[in-house]
Amino acid sequence: MDKKITVSQEKYSRSWPFKMAWRDSRKSRGKLLLFIASISLGIAALVGITSFRENLLEEIDEQAKTLLGADFSVSGNKQLPDSLFRKFESISSSESRETFFSSMVLFPGRGTRLTQVRALTGDYPYYGEIETVPAEASQDFRGGQYAIVDEKLMIQYNVGIGDSVKVGDLSFAIKGSIRKIPGQTDVGTSVAPVVYIPAQFLDQTGLIMKGSRINRTAFFQFSSEKDTAGVWTEMKLQAEALGFDVDTIEDRKEETGRAFKDLSSFLELIAFTALLLGCLGVASSIYVYVKSKVQAVAVLRCLGMKAHQAINIYLLQVAFFGLIGSVIGCIMGVIIHLYLPEVTKSFIPIEITPTVYWPALYAGVILGVTISVLFGLLSLVGLRKVSPLSAIRSGFESRKIRWDKLVAIIGMTVIFFIFIALWWQLKNPLFALVYTGILIGSILLLFGMGKGLSWGMKKLLPASLPFVWRQGMSNLYRPNNQTVVLVTTLGLSTALLAMLYFMQDLLVQRVSMAGENERPNTVLFDIQSNQREELHQMTIDYSLPIMQDVPIVTMRLLEVNGKNKNEAWNDTTARVPGWAFNREYRVTYRDSLISSETLVAGEWKGKLESPSDSIFVSISKNYAENLKVKIGDELLFNVQGAVLKTYVGSFREIDWRRVQTNFLVLFPEGVLENAPQFHVLITRVDRSDLSAMYQQAVVQQFPNVSIIDLELILKTLEDVLGKVAFVIQFMGLFSVGTGLIVMISAIILSRFQRMQENVLLRTLGAVKQQLWKIIAAEYFFLGGLGALAGLILATIFTSLLGKFVFEFTFIPNMIHFGAIFFVVTSTSVIIGLLNSRNVIRHSPLEVLRNEL
Amino acid sequence: MKTATTIEIPAWIFCFSLLISCSTPSKNATAVEESVIPEEVTRKDERKTILFFGNSITAGYQLDLEEAFPAIIQNWLDTLGYNYRVINAGLSGETTASGKNRIEWVLKTFPDVFVLELGANDGLRGLPLEESRKNLQEIIDAVKAVNPEVKILLAGMQVPPNLGQDYTKSFRTIFPELSESNETALIPFILEGVAGDPKLNLSDGIHPTPEGHQILASTVWKYLVPLLDNPS
Repeated sequence: MDKKITVSQEKYSRSWPFKMAWRDSRKSRGKLLLFIASISLGIAALVGITSFRENLLEEIDEQAKTLLGADFSVSGNKQLPDSLFRKFESISSSESRETFFSSMVLFPGRGTRLTQVRALTGDYPYYGEIETVPAEASQDFRGGQYAIVDEKLMIQYNVGIGDSVKVGDLSFAIKGSIRKIPGQTDVGTSVAPVVYIPAQFLDQTGLIMKGSRINRTAFFQFSSEKDTAGVWTEMKLQAEALGFDVDTIEDRKEETGRAFKDLSSFLELIAFTALLLGCLGVASSIYVYVKSKVQAVAVLRCLGMKAHQAINIYLLQVAFFGLIGSVIGCIMGVIIHLYLPEVTKSFIPIEITPTVYWPALYAGVILGVTISVLFGLLSLVGLRKVSPLSAIRSGFESRKIRWDKLVAIIGMTVIFFIFIALWWQLKNPLFALVYTGILIGSILLLFGMGKGLSWGMKKLLPASLPFVWRQGMSNLYRPNNQTVVLVTTLGLSTALLAMLYFMQDLLVQRVSMAGENERPNTVLFDIQSNQREELHQMTIDYSLPIMQDVPIVTMRLLEVNGKNKNEAWNDTTARVPGWAFNREYRVTYRDSLISSETLVAGEWKGKLESPSDSIFVSISKNYAENLKVKIGDELLFNVQGAVLKTYVGSFREIDWRRVQTNFLVLFPEGVLENAPQFHVLITRVDRSDLSAMYQQAVVQQFPNVSIIDLELILKTLEDVLGKVAFVIQFMGLFSVGTGLIVMISAIILSRFQRMQENVLLRTLGAVKQQLWKIIAAEYFFLGGLGALAGLILATIFTSLLGKFVFEFTFIPNMIHFGAIFFVVTSTSVIIGLLNSRNVIRHSPLEVLRNEL
Repeated sequence: MKTATTIEIPAWIFCFSLLISCSTPSKNATAVEESVIPEEVTRKDERKTILFFGNSITAGYQLDLEEAFPAIIQNWLDTLGYNYRVINAGLSGETTASGKNRIEWVLKTFPDVFVLELGANDGLRGLPLEESRKNLQEIIDAVKAVNPEVKILLAGMQVPPNLGQDYTKSFRTIFPELSESNETALIPFILEGVAGDPKLNLSDGIHPTPEGHQILASTVWKYLVPLLDNPS
């Protein structure tokens, strides 16, 4: 070895650094394996998460399409003009037409019922399917004089397959019962149960004639090849100008509330996490590895090697590790991605057909190698200026951070690289910039906390503690301490994982039909006051819950602050829009707010104590903004002849996304009890046969009561949203899982740090227990501070994200916090101890000869 | 919020959107005896009263109350010197059943002429027509009980043919039959010349525009005038 090193510079062959890098690695292959494993875990996390993300995103997009059943639809109460239809046709690969209208259909001998009759041509639905029993009925009925009929309707009228249903003048044989229809997400279309008949018989029913109220929808599927964006928008505007309603999958997604927006924001977060985990895995192992080589560099320089030559050797090594680690990581990631769905198939609600997502693999390798080299450089370039001898002596003191232009440049390159990688992941430069900023901020914060801990320990460590504890704690600030590195690594991973955990928990609750079993699905309205008691009893007799029972009073607004419609419009300082006066208000009265309402201003008084008191009503916040009224303003209502002066007492924020009645204006009790009113009852019926029986009984006894059965609509929606929730949960927990492994591997890497010391301590006569305690003390503080810092960061992240992206208020849950703190700290201590068990189990000399 | 597409769906239904669980209902509606709404709602006025009792058509759904046909008729009455005041007791979404329950409240105003315009929502919801007929009869009885001398004008209605011939036919016949048995005046079809014309209806296809209401007013006017005392 010696001779080779003294080779003069001129003869210095190109292959020499490679050979040197190889030779250097010979001595500690076992150790290298650990570093490579750590790199590959990081990359595996990146590849696995990115691939799943891509796959699931596609899958969810597919699912969302069933909300409409086509790429877009054009509907109206007249026929789409041929010229326009042909235009739409030109950008579509397939089109279908549906005609629907309400009609009284007759089940001969069993009675008539208002239904929605639909007639279909073409292959609609393109996404999802009309689910029937038997399954083939949804296709078969199109071939002859057949119909398919809403399942519950068939139960209600006790008809079966083969029986007939008369639509207009024509009888159809029933081919099957309908269980689910794609695209049925609009409440307006659901009032009556559905009967499908083939379009070719439509004219013969005699129902389509002058004066008939017919709705027509054309469904289109985009042809894939053509870029249709511009043309399509123009056509859309044209159709809308003619009074048609153009509906797209995007519109439908928006109608479902925030679910899809939440999902995509969350998946951005996941992408960020994946990238960061990759970096963390690679960077932490490279950093520790290179640090262990500093002395070797110094020795080489003492022997006459130029600084850059020495650096080259280790850079080559590091790049090579990075490459191997990344390739192994990619393979691991792909294996997880391909086989995990297979294993979990039986209990996940989504069908994943994993296909290898190549960009994730390229990204894995590029990231692995680049981060390896950059972090290798970052640790190595500092050695350039250090004189060889001081490098050896300063084993301890020289690694103070000194301003170095090159280090700064490399640091910037790292940041820039992360920014580019984020840009690629998020496909949005602005988001990438924001995330990069957040990342830098958190690292600085963690770095500061690590420094603070070192400093604090040094200053505050009480001398009265037993030696072992003092030894353990002083390891946190003595030279060669690992405080800053581990606190940063642990803190960052804890922050990420805790944040993902909180976030997925909150989002899943919000998106999914949490408490699906309590979701109402049946609404009865137009119940008259004298029918209320009896209907209650009947509902209870059917063992159904009365989820809401609301009185509704209709009124009109006469004046706002003493100004009627025209005066209010002409008042330029507070112009009240005309619709506020033109609409009829359906209001209710009760003594308290319900869970979908939050008081945001003013005070809510639930009961009017004496008829002479002023009446304070509560109005919806958005409505108040439109009306431009403040707390204390006067509203004059006309309650069907009785004029009522009220004051705005409070504003409520209303969560409109729930299946329940919500009101712009809410009265306290003691005002409207005598006014004409009807009642709405909301319940849930689980079984469709029970539902059918209940509906039949209600209609029979209370013919004026109308029933809206939301089950058919909610089924499709619930299906899709359930999958969205699953994806959020899966991606969240999968990332947390892989992240934990990456974090653990980072702690494992610290095993070499204390080895020499511990061996020395043992040589000096320290017993096992003492060593355990020393190690436990050090790792307890490292883990504890890392966890604490991480939790603080996670709280900040989650609150910020909640405020600016997801629109919720994050309320920290102390039990979660405690659990996370405990897990991270104990993991740190346990791994610290496991790391040292070699040193402690075997005799000191054995260890020294083996490892050093 | 979308606009209602048919008469039968109250606008608030669209305030449902489709998510998540329902809360436990608050305890409510324990009927409280004392109520600010006075038991008697009457106004002193020496003029005679024409009470329009109906659904969204009378109420002028989505329009200013001043644009609905009862207000137009009031204008004409005033211009021509008839000594009558018009009360609009229309309510969107009203069926004959809810009308029957509301009539007591409405009759706190003593009617000299009573225009009954209900039934369309029953038809559009496919309710059993025997019930509708019974409810309308009870409303007429209630009005007569308050004022045996009242002059009743019954507004005939039709439902679109897509509901099926049997149903539309029996629906159509309710009004002339009731009119005959109760000896009331009858508007054969109140939406004559308006129904089905896209230009005279809002985009939902069934609620008349302000122009539509002008035509409605002339139709009603034709049958109303013979029931009135001549201008002084």
